[in-house]
Amino acid sequence: MARKRGRGMAACWYGIARTATVDRAAAWAEIDDGGSAKIITGVTEIGEGILTVLAQIAAHEMGVKPEHVVIGDNDTARAPEAAHAGASRQTYMIGNVVALAAREARKRLVECMAEVWDVDVGSIGTGNGEIWAENSNHRIPMGEAVSIAKNRGVVPVGSATFGTDTTGLDAVDGAGRPWQAYVFGAQVAEVEVDTVTGEVQVLGIWAAHDVGRAVNPQGVEGQIEGGIVQALGQGLMEDYKLDQGRTSTSGFAKYILPTSLDVPRINSIIIEDPDPIGPLGVKGVGEPAMVPTIPAIMNAIYDAVGVRITALPATPEKLLMAIREKEQRERQMQAAE
Amino acid sequence: MLICDDYLIPTTLAEAFAAMAQHRGRSRVVAGCTDTFPWAREGRAGDVEISVIIDISKIPELNERRIDDRRVRLGAATPIQRFLDDASLGRALPAMPRCAVWFADDQIRAQATIGGNIINASPAADGTPCLIAHEAEVELAKDAGGKIVRRRMKLDQFVTGPNKTVLDEDELLTAIECDALPGYGGSFEKVGHRRSLVISLVCLATLVKLDAQGRHIEDVRLAIAGIAPKPLRLGDVETFLRGRPISMERLERAADMPVGLVASRTRQDYRRDVVRGFMLRGLINAARRAGASADVLAPELEAAYA
Amino acid sequence: MPDIRLEATVNGRKIARNARPHQRLLDFLRDDLHLTGNKEGCGAGECGTCSVFVDGVLMKSCLLPVAKAQGATIETIESLARSGELSVLQKAFHQAGASQCGFCIPGMVMAATAAIRANPFADREEIKERLGGNICRCTGYQKIFDAVEMARDVQNGRLPATAFADIDAEAGDYIGKTVRRIDAPSKVSGKLKYAGDMTMPDMLQVQVLRSPHAHARIVSIDTSAAEAMDGVEGVITSADVPGEDGFGVFVNDQPIMARDKVRYIGEAVAAVAAEDPLTARRALAAIRVEYEPLPPVFDPEDAMREGAPVVHDYAPDNITKHIPIRVGDVDRGFAESDLVVEETYATQAIEHAYLEPEAGLAYVDHDGVVTIVSPSQNITHHRHMLARIIAQPISKVRFIMSPVGGGFGGKEDMIFQGMLALLAMKTQRPVRLVFTREESIISTAKRHPSRTTLRMGLMRDGSIHALHMTMICDGGAYGLSTEGVMRKAAILGAGPYVIPNVRVDTYGIYTNNTPSGAFRSFGALQTQFATESHLDICAERLGLDPFEIRRINAMRDGAVTHTKQKLGSVSLTRALDALEEACGWEQGAPVSRGNNRKDLDRDDIRPPVALGARFAATAKRQAAE
Repeated sequence: MARKRGRGMAACWYGIARTATVDRAAAWAEIDDGGSAKIITGVTEIGEGILTVLAQIAAHEMGVKPEHVVIGDNDTARAPEAAHAGASRQTYMIGNVVALAAREARKRLVECMAEVWDVDVGSIGTGNGEIWAENSNHRIPMGEAVSIAKNRGVVPVGSATFGTDTTGLDAVDGAGRPWQAYVFGAQVAEVEVDTVTGEVQVLGIWAAHDVGRAVNPQGVEGQIEGGIVQALGQGLMEDYKLDQGRTSTSGFAKYILPTSLDVPRINSIIIEDPDPIGPLGVKGVGEPAMVPTIPAIMNAIYDAVGVRITALPATPEKLLMAIREKEQRERQMQAAE
Repeated sequence: MLICDDYLIPTTLAEAFAAMAQHRGRSRVVAGCTDTFPWAREGRAGDVEISVIIDISKIPELNERRIDDRRVRLGAATPIQRFLDDASLGRALPAMPRCAVWFADDQIRAQATIGGNIINASPAADGTPCLIAHEAEVELAKDAGGKIVRRRMKLDQFVTGPNKTVLDEDELLTAIECDALPGYGGSFEKVGHRRSLVISLVCLATLVKLDAQGRHIEDVRLAIAGIAPKPLRLGDVETFLRGRPISMERLERAADMPVGLVASRTRQDYRRDVVRGFMLRGLINAARRAGASADVLAPELEAAYA
Repeated sequence: MPDIRLEATVNGRKIARNARPHQRLLDFLRDDLHLTGNKEGCGAGECGTCSVFVDGVLMKSCLLPVAKAQGATIETIESLARSGELSVLQKAFHQAGASQCGFCIPGMVMAATAAIRANPFADREEIKERLGGNICRCTGYQKIFDAVEMARDVQNGRLPATAFADIDAEAGDYIGKTVRRIDAPSKVSGKLKYAGDMTMPDMLQVQVLRSPHAHARIVSIDTSAAEAMDGVEGVITSADVPGEDGFGVFVNDQPIMARDKVRYIGEAVAAVAAEDPLTARRALAAIRVEYEPLPPVFDPEDAMREGAPVVHDYAPDNITKHIPIRVGDVDRGFAESDLVVEETYATQAIEHAYLEPEAGLAYVDHDGVVTIVSPSQNITHHRHMLARIIAQPISKVRFIMSPVGGGFGGKEDMIFQGMLALLAMKTQRPVRLVFTREESIISTAKRHPSRTTLRMGLMRDGSIHALHMTMICDGGAYGLSTEGVMRKAAILGAGPYVIPNVRVDTYGIYTNNTPSGAFRSFGALQTQFATESHLDICAERLGLDPFEIRRINAMRDGAVTHTKQKLGSVSLTRALDALEEACGWEQGAPVSRGNNRKDLDRDDIRPPVALGARFAATAKRQAAE
């Protein structure tokens, strides 16, 4: 058979938020006119979908709809610090702090309405743009409640800060608490190796990742799918080449990126092991999603053709030459017998 | 970055030659122009100042299309995409659609021209070996004292090395003519570092015509690129196979023949290895598409190489 | 230089305008007609972000000389939702979650539109082929394919138009629900503006002069000829920095522009602000820099040796950072092991390749606040550093994050914002810099390449008894995130396994190569590639299934990590169990069963690509006719 299939797997772990240092984030929330809401925080949307996640969290906590949540721009002169985009930290740090700020804003409104309706604070419910009191006829749109509150001199705002209980590492043995949330995962890759050319096609990847709690499942899949394809690129085709400090790969004609024809079918399995510390139980997935991919692919190639690539990328030439060397070794061994 | 003072679009050959003469030494002739802007960038030519660009893609003669049952004639400005969206062209030149589908992507194929690809003579130019397998001839024209004179030659004589052709400074490639080969099975094998928009390391074009029973090779053409400074027509292999019955033993011997021709500057071992496999794969694929009988092209055989 | 009088129809409107002969159609659309939905991701026809319809044919407008559009009918991304309503395809992209950073999306929507126009019944394989000229770096393409299939089905009546709908959340329970991305409509329509799409009145264009040497002393810089040029408003070098020059992530070892010496090819040396990019480029060519080459060092192991060229005076051994992890006694551990396996692993430098090349604007506002608009991943940190560098109170420095067209860690470093600030202050006009793709690749951070030696000692029962890992990384010319990368690598490198004896050392080394910096999953990707490959080698030797060897060693609830931290709940075995079941894994030691496996070729993988899916479609159509 010219084309050989194989499967391989690999596991991984990762830490969420900044490493071995205290991480922090802050947010301001307001339940606004007309049943809308404002969230202001130093959020850095780089495509991972954090804006939508925050809108969902704010909507969930404040009782409005996500499409009515307005998130302020990330501007050092307009928003409180929420640190950076990286370390798979934003859902954890900013998601949690937005939840806390939103709860404070809601608390102000709920306390106001409890007084107006003369009911227990605990009997007030919110959701989908409405606010009501259990076991009563009181149910009004959120916008009306905001209006009532403002007429009583209360603007339903809230703010919060969220920090991590983490430490640096000991200079000698590395002991310390670098993160307070860890995630675990594993992937299986199925590949086809063309033994005429050495080309590898990754046909399928199954990816199981603990995200603590998935706020937006489609968004989690998007992170997993995107991360896997980036890792695939490093595993099989990308290579920033330098010779005496000068690169020969300064454009996309030479620096080869995966195209639509190079990507596997990706099957995501979302595992939820909630974080016990943050209010939401969320953790993160952006980076862990790409850690097991390359070894899973290399292990799959080994399964297919009995050749282990230990230096990336596994280009067609490298793989074909390794296959031929293996065949030659086997022929020599057979001849010796 | 490209800087130019004037962009001319002549509508006749005479106009084009006049512009070329008037701006000799400070002009560049383009057709599709897909290579010009990428070339004028850091890492390649850098900032480039060309006084005049002469775009010949609108000259009617360069957009000709004639197919009959023996010959195909295409103007040099024919976009590569024609091999994919012009069904009768694809049937007349059976390996070209297989080649075209590997060529860059849909957007670039719509702009890049057959003539431009040939003139660039990039060692990675996939169209050239495929056209050579179809017995392509190029037609060249130049202005000689007010009269347009033409000459023709085989494509594999026209390209002499990497980025080198015998085109004169004041000559234009106007048309490509090749055999119409309906009923042949065609294949195009190529390897690069990924599956799309890829620069090939080795590519092989194969055309096979079988008898009515699908057992004898009436005709076979093979052309390969990436193993030598220019694309090669594998005449010796064709002679070896022509007129013979299909047999794995014969195909295997044929596959060994071009391996000794590998004279690339880099990655020789890899190319030798791939050439042999491609020969078998190309012949098997082309034979199958030409209607090979199931008892000479056994499924296990196909699986072994295809 | 005679202008071209271009007459064409663009998005249904007849236009007649002058254009320069060397303009590309892309420049004309973006700069002259302000149709910024179409992007320049690479300028070389490789990425597809510039795709537009010319007389109904999809083409890459960065490759088209504007004269080729004479008399043509052009449709850009802005034409699809002209009536105000998103097209079926755009709605499908929204519904399927097919947009992430959004920069590739206008071009991708155009390619998808072309695909469905060419074959309204295209199957997934043909769709993939027709999108082969468009690169996406964020999504992995899967949801893009889903979107195109969804649009095809709605158009053909196989799916109802109600397929495009918001989710219904019970009583406001929005957590755990797939709410459609709130930023998707702005991205699929091409309306969202990135920094390179933004203009301000009176704006100047910036270009940067970069070092041609990997290691050289700067003897002198003469900017006088450049400054005297018509149209040049400001030229800066490190001499123009008023405050404490130096930025970074862990160590502020990098000057805004090279100071005293250059340390890598592509390092910024000077910058020019001029009325247009061409004038700025001509001014760069007029700047005279005298260099005295110094011996360079390119291999990290060479850089660690006695007598190697010193890249930064403060680190005479060229070690940016070393992180050690020590648990137990590995020597005794190996002596006690039944099996010891050693192997070396290498990973290469990787380019982030976000589709949006770096770009930014800067201006001094009416209150004297120096304002930078850029796709920075860390505006808080950048503001801190810039205030010190330009000697301004922090309240007089403002960073605004523009929409980020992909980051992955590559836009964390403040490698151009300082120059923008200085030029805005010097010229008192807004300034804009847009990197070319080549400039982005050559001058910005890469993933740390690594060489890892891994030695594992195991008992016959498969338990890991000792692990010794040493990783050496080329950190390149400046520190950037190297310290963080080494730390994360050290903490996570041994994997989520209970191991009584662990010794890990990670070293980030200065060289005269392109700096290495933050890149999604840094440190963990390099080391766990080694560890997870290694475990399979050991599994084969011990006759254990790959899942089994990991279960034998897996951390579980309450496990203690290699940094001696006690964990709470550990979900590793849950993930392994769920994975094994989901993929129908056939158990067995990894002895290269390959094609003999029985768990292959299920329907949750894709078919191998052979190219030519459209031939099959054509054949089917012809057979039907």
